[in-house]
Order: sequence, then structure tokens, then C-alpha cells
Amino acid sequence: MTATGTAAPATARSTHLDGAVRSAMRAVSAAAGRGLGDAALAELVQIRASQLNHCAFCLHLHLGIARQEGVDERRLDLLAAWEEAGDVFDARERAAPALTEAVTVLTEGFVPDAVYEEAAGHFDADGLAHLLALVAAVNGWNRLMAARRIPPGSADW
Amino acid sequence: MGSFFPSLGGMTTNENTVPVSEPLAAEQSPRLEWAKHAPEVWKAMLRLEKAAAQGLDPKLSELVKIRASQLNHCAFCLDMHTKDALAAGESVERIVQLAAWEESRHFYTEKELAAIELTEAVTVLTDGFVPDEVYGRAAAHFGEAELAQLISAIAVINTWNRFGVTCRLTPGHYRPGQYA
Repeated sequence: MTATGTAAPATARSTHLDGAVRSAMRAVSAAAGRGLGDAALAELVQIRASQLNHCAFCLHLHLGIARQEGVDERRLDLLAAWEEAGDVFDARERAAPALTEAVTVLTEGFVPDAVYEEAAGHFDADGLAHLLALVAAVNGWNRLMAARRIPPGSADW
Repeated sequence: MGSFFPSLGGMTTNENTVPVSEPLAAEQSPRLEWAKHAPEVWKAMLRLEKAAAQGLDPKLSELVKIRASQLNHCAFCLDMHTKDALAAGESVERIVQLAAWEESRHFYTEKELAAIELTEAVTVLTDGFVPDEVYGRAAAHFGEAELAQLISAIAVINTWNRFGVTCRLTPGHYRPGQYA
């Protein structure tokens, strides 16, 4: 421990992304967000995936955007416990993070029929395809940023 | 480019040679033909796939994609990438041993092993962070630009796996070069 009581910064991992990869990733997320057409919900699912994947950069980014979008702080606070959060999230807002979690923890199994069907009951096929795309894309972003340990708020990546 | 989903042309099962005499289990239909419902995303994903492949050895890329698809249980992606690996000149033995690569190290180069190990760490992100020693071994074998491309390829196959598994895309019909 240092004299100030703070831990030493984690070892830096300097690897800049190729510009074409960065641009195409942005295009995927932008197209998914446009197709979903619900900016607040888009941020909620991207925050939830980033929590599960422990991506500090993405959490910082999407929490900031959510606040800019006017998402209530209480919803951001309780998102990680959405299942026990009473009426803070409506049925559609619960179906989306449920799907997000199933799609994010793939290494433990498949996306259960009940979770998929619940989401399909709240989103039409276009909406569901774009919701899935947003979750799939943020899972890509989480890996790009966490693997290279990009600090939250960094503009150098 | 045609439809995301290949024409089945009257086939009732996959076209692979299956050495059994009993009838096979019924083939499942996909839950959602996502590319038809999100064509702009599909186009951007194809662009992303090409961008992430630049500068990486195709055989190494396929080993990475197969291993990630094994960990994520993506049947469609396994069908695609084992066929692409074979088409790129990969051996059946190295594909078969890949799921147990830690006990089959002599099938692979040290550089390939570093890439496979990094693939696993980046794919199982929900279990924790990417360890310094795993990242360090990859950084020792790959230059900075190549390492960035490797990490990009791992991230992109993880994205594809999520489309494939969630939509339950049907394996067995892929032909190498189909989406090129």
C-alpha cells in the first residue's frame, strides 16, 4: 500500500485498435441503437452487460450517456438487482435485461426458451433483432476494452 | 450476397455424411432470422468481420474462432469455422484436439497457444479479468498491431456467437466462402 492508501495503478496494456475495426464496431452499435429506437433502454442493457463482463470503460461510458438521456438515478442504482427491484422496472424493462444476461453468460449454457419467449412477447421481430444486436455488440466492446484494460474515460484507445 | 440463410433446396437434414443407420433427430428451425430484421447491423457486422481479419493468419484466426465458439456453445459458428479451418488447410487432428489444447500442446506452436489462451480469458469475462500473465504471453508473441487484431477477432467472434446462439441458427449447411 502506498502512503496515500491507494493501490498502485494496474499495469498498462497499450494496444490501439485498428481504425477500421473501431469504425465498424461503432457502425454495428449505432445501427442496433437506431433500430431499437429506445435510447434509455439501450443504455440499461449495455450497462447490465458491462456489469456482468466487468468492463470499467464501458460502465463509465454508458452510465454517463444514461444520465445524459435523463434515466433516473434510482433505476441505474437498482439495475444490477432488477429482479428484486419491485416496480422500478416494468415488464418490458425486465424482459430486456433478462435477455441481456442470458446472451452475455453464454459460457454457462444456452439462452433459455422462457427468457427468449418473454422478450419476444415485448418486442416485435425487428425490435428483438436490434435489441440482440445491441447486446451482442456491447459484449464485443466489453472484450475490446477490458482485455486491453482501457481506463474509464480514456480517449486513447 | 444472398440471404443470410442458405437455401435448403429440399434437403431435410444437413449435407454432412453421417455414418449411422438409424434416423437422425429432427432439425430445429432458427428462432429468429435476425439479419433480415436488422439488415444495417448485418452489413456493419460483415464490414467488422473483414476489418478484424486484416493482418491475422487465417489458420490462427480459425483456431481462435473455433475455441471461442466451443466455449460459447455456438453450433452454427462451429459448423462454419471448422469448415473454414479445413478449407484454409488446417488438419482434422488440430481441430479435434483444440477443446483439450492444454493437454495437447505439442499439436500447436507457442504463438498459437498464446492466442488460444488469450481467447479463453477474453471469452469467459464474466468469471473475472484477463490475467496479466495471459496477456503478457500473447504480447510476447504478437506485435502491438497484430495483438490488437487478435483481440478484435476474439471480440468479433464473441459477438457473432451471441447472434448464433440466441437465434438458434441451424448448423450443418455452411459452405466455405458463402459470405465472402
